[in-house]
Amino acid sequence: MLSVKGLRANVGDKEILRGLDFEVGPGEVHAIMGPNGSGKSTFAHVLSGREGYEVTAGSVTFEGKDLLALEPEERAQLGLFLAFQYPVELPGVNNTYFLKAALNSIRKARGEEELDAVSFLRLIKERLKILHLDDSLLKRAVNAGFSGGEKKRNEIFQMALLEPKLAILDETDSGLDIDALRVVADGVNALRSAERSMIVVTHYQRLLDYIQPDHVHVLSKGRIIRSGGKELALELEEKGYGWIDAEGQAA
Amino acid sequence: MNGDMPTGFASWLAHERSCDAGIDWLDARRRNAAERVREQGVPSSRDEGWRYTNLKGLLEQGFLQPDEPITALQPDDLEEVLVPGLASHRVILVNGRFVPELSLLEDLPPGVRVSGLASLLASDPDVLKDRLNAVAGDDLALFAALNTAGLDDGVVALVDRGVLLERPIELIHVSVGLDEPRVAQPRNVIVLGAGAQAIVIERYLSLGDSLYCTNCVTEVSLGRDAVLKHDRIQTESPSAFHISGLYLRQDANSRYLGVNLGLGARWARTDLNATFGGEHAECDLQGLYLAGDGQLMDYHLDVDHSVPNCASRENFKGILYGKGRAVFDGRVFVAQDAQKTDAAMSNRNLMLSESAEVDTKPQLEINADDVKCSHGTTVGQIEPEMLFYLRSRGISAPLARRMLCLGFAGEIIERLSAEALRDQVSELVGQRLESAPLS
Amino acid sequence: MTSTQAVDDIVRSEYEHGFATEIASDTLPPGLDEDVVRAISARKGEPEFMTEARLKAYRHWLTMTEPQWPAVHYPKIDFQAISYFSAPKRPEDAPKSLDEIDPLLIETYNKLGIPIEEQKALAGIAVDAVFDSVSVATTFRATLAEAGVIFCSISEALHDYPELVKQHIGSVVPHTDNYYAALNAAVFSDGTFVYIPKGVRCPMELSTYFRINARNTGQFERTLIVAEAGSYVSYLEGCTAPQRDENQLHAAVVELIAMEDAEIKYSTVQNWYPGDAQGKGGIYNFVTKRGDCRGARSKISWTQVETGSAITWKYPSCLLRGDDSVGEFYSVAVTKGRQQADTGTKMIHIGKNTSSTIVSKGISAGEGRQTYRGLVRIGQRAAGARNHTQCDSLLIGDRCTANTFPYIEVKHPSAKMEHEATTSKISDDQLFYCRSRGLTEEDAVSMIVNGFCKEVFNELPMEFAVEAQKLLSISLEGAVG
Repeated sequence: MLSVKGLRANVGDKEILRGLDFEVGPGEVHAIMGPNGSGKSTFAHVLSGREGYEVTAGSVTFEGKDLLALEPEERAQLGLFLAFQYPVELPGVNNTYFLKAALNSIRKARGEEELDAVSFLRLIKERLKILHLDDSLLKRAVNAGFSGGEKKRNEIFQMALLEPKLAILDETDSGLDIDALRVVADGVNALRSAERSMIVVTHYQRLLDYIQPDHVHVLSKGRIIRSGGKELALELEEKGYGWIDAEGQAA
Repeated sequence: MNGDMPTGFASWLAHERSCDAGIDWLDARRRNAAERVREQGVPSSRDEGWRYTNLKGLLEQGFLQPDEPITALQPDDLEEVLVPGLASHRVILVNGRFVPELSLLEDLPPGVRVSGLASLLASDPDVLKDRLNAVAGDDLALFAALNTAGLDDGVVALVDRGVLLERPIELIHVSVGLDEPRVAQPRNVIVLGAGAQAIVIERYLSLGDSLYCTNCVTEVSLGRDAVLKHDRIQTESPSAFHISGLYLRQDANSRYLGVNLGLGARWARTDLNATFGGEHAECDLQGLYLAGDGQLMDYHLDVDHSVPNCASRENFKGILYGKGRAVFDGRVFVAQDAQKTDAAMSNRNLMLSESAEVDTKPQLEINADDVKCSHGTTVGQIEPEMLFYLRSRGISAPLARRMLCLGFAGEIIERLSAEALRDQVSELVGQRLESAPLS
Repeated sequence: MTSTQAVDDIVRSEYEHGFATEIASDTLPPGLDEDVVRAISARKGEPEFMTEARLKAYRHWLTMTEPQWPAVHYPKIDFQAISYFSAPKRPEDAPKSLDEIDPLLIETYNKLGIPIEEQKALAGIAVDAVFDSVSVATTFRATLAEAGVIFCSISEALHDYPELVKQHIGSVVPHTDNYYAALNAAVFSDGTFVYIPKGVRCPMELSTYFRINARNTGQFERTLIVAEAGSYVSYLEGCTAPQRDENQLHAAVVELIAMEDAEIKYSTVQNWYPGDAQGKGGIYNFVTKRGDCRGARSKISWTQVETGSAITWKYPSCLLRGDDSVGEFYSVAVTKGRQQADTGTKMIHIGKNTSSTIVSKGISAGEGRQTYRGLVRIGQRAAGARNHTQCDSLLIGDRCTANTFPYIEVKHPSAKMEHEATTSKISDDQLFYCRSRGLTEEDAVSMIVNGFCKEVFNELPMEFAVEAQKLLSISLEGAVG
């Protein structure tokens, strides 16, 4: 479903990703772990098409298409979803309106009919429950004045609504207390299915206690230096990133 | 009374003599106003209030004020003019003249009087003696003076003390294209007695794209504890010149909530003046303007805190594109004795194109120490992060931009007094933005 | 030998090229015409181009009208009653002793810990010798010469480096700029010239404080600072001690030029005599200060602490011509008694990716009148321009005035402009909190006011910042109550 080969990317003059190889199959949950500055967020941003990154080599195919050639909205319409580490506040932009515009643009691209107001409202109310979100949220502006936990929950709520094929969760756990983390993780788990893949980007193992990955990868200096099962995450937690780095250097 | 009128305005006042009402106090006020026009002459960019606003384009048109009412609006045309779903007490003016047969004033509750200015001057002038020109005063600015000197018609709305008027009074000023470019100078007087509450919607629009000028003045006087919601929406023809003056005076504990929307005209100048006559009054002035190609939107606010314990909010937002230009010149004055004044002024501008221009001047003049006053201004463009966020959710770039603009404008639009009005305005703003070159 | 001459002699003997200007022993009669302009130039032995430039400025001045400022009030100035060239006062005309000086001024000197001899000099009393600063300055000169830095009076520069002066003078503030700039260009008395060669970082803070001999040049002072590519200089003007001057009208011009990658930091502490309690005798300080960021990545930073003068009218400005150039303006202005200040800045963004910061802190007490007037203009080609303005007023007492008149003109969509302004008073809660911790009311006020000004003081060179804080506290003593 997603195939990344030899991906190299720069921010300004600095090379952040240095030949990254990565494969995700349908229904798989991959965790990408790594110390700060290893390129985790850059990878998530490059996949979703954020500006400010220059891909210098390599390829990314998603559902058989050259992902890097697509605009951000085309990627989303194809079924890619990024849950932001720092969700953006959009003062004055009504949440319901925003969600409806997003959902219908994706449905349209898939050749599905746009939802009318009634079925749309029914759908979002149903999805709100998954995240234990209050429907007053719908009247508010997107993320404006939300607490940190609310913002992250809102991201997962959007994911529930837009039903992506591949979701990238960029440090969704950062800044969350344990209760909020549990709510978010429950939401994510409820959305797991055989057709939906996920990439969980995180610094800490604790998120993986709640979202069990099929594969764990360790990113260091822009490359995946180790891959394994979920036991790799535990090992990392125990020994710290220094262990991996030292090993990486030895290798 | 003629003679040495400033060139360019002489034709505005050709009417000055012919509608001599034979009412002493009125004629005296009009003579004084004409004198004020003569004194001031044509302002230049050296005059602080006209620093960024050029009058040349206006003066070149040679607008005439018609002697006879021209109200060629058919009942069938009404459809185009009304807001769907808005139930109101309706007053229609065409080219500055009150048209009773198109207006809808039968259901007015007791204690509310709404009528044409000219007919009221003919039937019961004494009612207006202490009300007409009472707020605007004798020291009139140029266009208010022109309006007063050339005064012929308009709308008077009087709400007696303690009356709560539920349905809004809607004043619709329609300009219908004429062979020669004409100026209409309607004068509106709104008076709320103590404790009265009302909603007034003023709309200025036209059928077609014709060239004309509207120079309107609205005087609002709020008694003690009165509450007025006042929407003023300008969607004039793209060739039109629109000049609007609001003079507001509030007694103690009264509240004024005003929303000013500038969405039409090629050249629009709005002067909003507020004064307080008693303590603990609140004045809220909200505004939104869209300035597209070749348009000028020019706002001047003057809020005079001369008594203690009053609060005012001035919140204006603008969206500029094409070769659009906007001017915001806001002034909050706090007199020496006006302790505990609470004033906050804000002007935010979104620039969408290379050649748009905005000049903004939010001023504070403070002569008391125990006050809370602030002002803020921003000029910027759409944040790339916001745009990316929307696009990452599958929304196309043009729609995303439009959504962000509407979000920016929404804060003001949602202050409008009626749902039907909010919907119509949102749609109109959306349409304007859709046709706008957004890059 | 009169004591004035004694001072002059010392000055001359200690400076190789004569730090002091050639001081004629007479004073031109009051009044201004072309002959007076010529006479000023002749007495200073200026090159021909300077004489011509002065005359041109004078002729232009004649065509101009005196500006009227709605927010500033003062009696009309009689420009024909001013003497445009005056030697230092003879001892018999000067105050004989400190007894003849406004006792409030003396009190302030004592609070600032200024030695008695220095007090006399500051108060304009004829003194027998100039204190330490003269010799200090000499030592500095040697260090500067080694680095290739030119730091001298403008009269001296006209003799020794006429080409340099000719190239730059009037290139930032032309004589046509405004009424007082034109007057200054015609009759400027003296001032400072600084030239930092390419790539040189000036080894020390340059300060006029050490040029005490420049007495009587305050009236129409002219300053020109040129920083060549990649150089850096920090210049300090004025001093914290209140200075008296017999000339009521001060119309100085300061021009700064920063070439590619150069940086000029210009700090001012202005504490001219504000007049007595009724505002009598205070200085009118009408100054034109402008910096030209001519080269790419250049930076000009103005920091000012304005506590003196009866009337202050000045807008230190930056022309941000070079791409990526930076302009800054940090200001603390205090008006009390009957002082009036109309001050602010202009940031003119011309080059691409230029940025400017404005931080203005106004404190108004007593019957002080204060106006912030600022212009931020973002031109048609100034892509990526940024401005942030913070403009705060603190009011003490209910008879003072604080106005904020910002002008913001934006002609490029990629501009990002933010302006914030607040007006507040010291709250009773703040005062109570401080006092409940054992502070006196005066200390509490001083602490709160200094906190209010911190952002600006942080920009001042260290020792200046300490003095400025002290000065502020003294200025506001008795203002609360």
